[in-house]
Amino acid sequence: MNSIEEKLWNYLDGTCSPEEHEEISRLITTDQTYQQKYQELLAFNQELESMELDAPPIAFTYNVMEAIRTEEASKPLKASIDHRIIQAIAAFFIGTIAILLMIALTGNHAENVHATVQIPVKVQLPTLTGYFSGPVLKGFLFFDVVLALFLFDGYLRKKHTVVL
Amino acid sequence: MQSKFSDIELIEQTLQGNQAAYADLVKRHQRFVFTLAMRFTKTREDAEEVAQDSFIKAYRSLQSFQGQSKFSTWLYSIVYTTAMTFLRKRRLDTSSIDDANNHLQLENQSGGFKNDLAENKSRSYYVNQAIEQLMPDDAMIITLFYKGEQSLEEIAVTLGLEPNNVKVKLFRARQRLKEKLERNLKHEVSELI
Repeated sequence: MNSIEEKLWNYLDGTCSPEEHEEISRLITTDQTYQQKYQELLAFNQELESMELDAPPIAFTYNVMEAIRTEEASKPLKASIDHRIIQAIAAFFIGTIAILLMIALTGNHAENVHATVQIPVKVQLPTLTGYFSGPVLKGFLFFDVVLALFLFDGYLRKKHTVVL
Repeated sequence: MQSKFSDIELIEQTLQGNQAAYADLVKRHQRFVFTLAMRFTKTREDAEEVAQDSFIKAYRSLQSFQGQSKFSTWLYSIVYTTAMTFLRKRRLDTSSIDDANNHLQLENQSGGFKNDLAENKSRSYYVNQAIEQLMPDDAMIITLFYKGEQSLEEIAVTLGLEPNNVKVKLFRARQRLKEKLERNLKHEVSELI
């Protein structure tokens, strides 16, 4: 199947086996047709090697870097926030809510605990029991539940979009 | 001035946030990337767009570069896909005026031959002219092989083909280029006589 031209290109490109290389070298020196074709392809090959590359505009690198800088700057803030910070804040709030719930649920038992701590007379401690019972606590818990449902809804929507 | 760092070192610096390192990479490869883009688009404006898009895409996915192949091979594959996407989009956009454009291009080409007769053109000019007349795939293979310092195996990676397939395509591309070069030169000579 190999034509003379194909064999000679393999020879010029260095893609033939050592045996083929030796055989073609011999043919180039002995066979007139091979010699003529080889000279022709060699000249053509040299022309291709000396072909010139096109030069881009002078400001090309600047334009590329400017486009990259613009793209970086326009990235949404959401993408550049460290997720660990978000997780730490979430953990803090979840912890706080959990502790508040525990206090609220075990409030009756806590009343039976008698602790003797000597507090200076002038120091007035705020009465916390008012905050952990009644409408304030209920309102706080209701707000937390609504917020949790809202976040859960957002999470499910995001997950659904990724699957699609 | 070219950077003294290797491509891999520049990539590492870029990934550490040094954008100047990426500018050095762009400077190093811009000429070849632009030439490859020209092989597809045929106009400088479009080639600039394709080359710029390719560098931006490469920047975006620099973290996915594994370093298993040369950076240039990876970059050229991005240029190839970007140029193909550009051509596909362009074909869709201009399908209705394709015929009119082709006629114009042919007229301009023959006009160009006559206008340039008095100029003393180098052999390299004719080679570039013949390459411009090739199909984009043929022109790309020849450019990658001769100017991109790419082996047949690396070209195969860039184009997503088998090395043997690339070898056959390169052989055919060179044949077609030779025919076009001979025809163009014959045309010039007959015009001069």
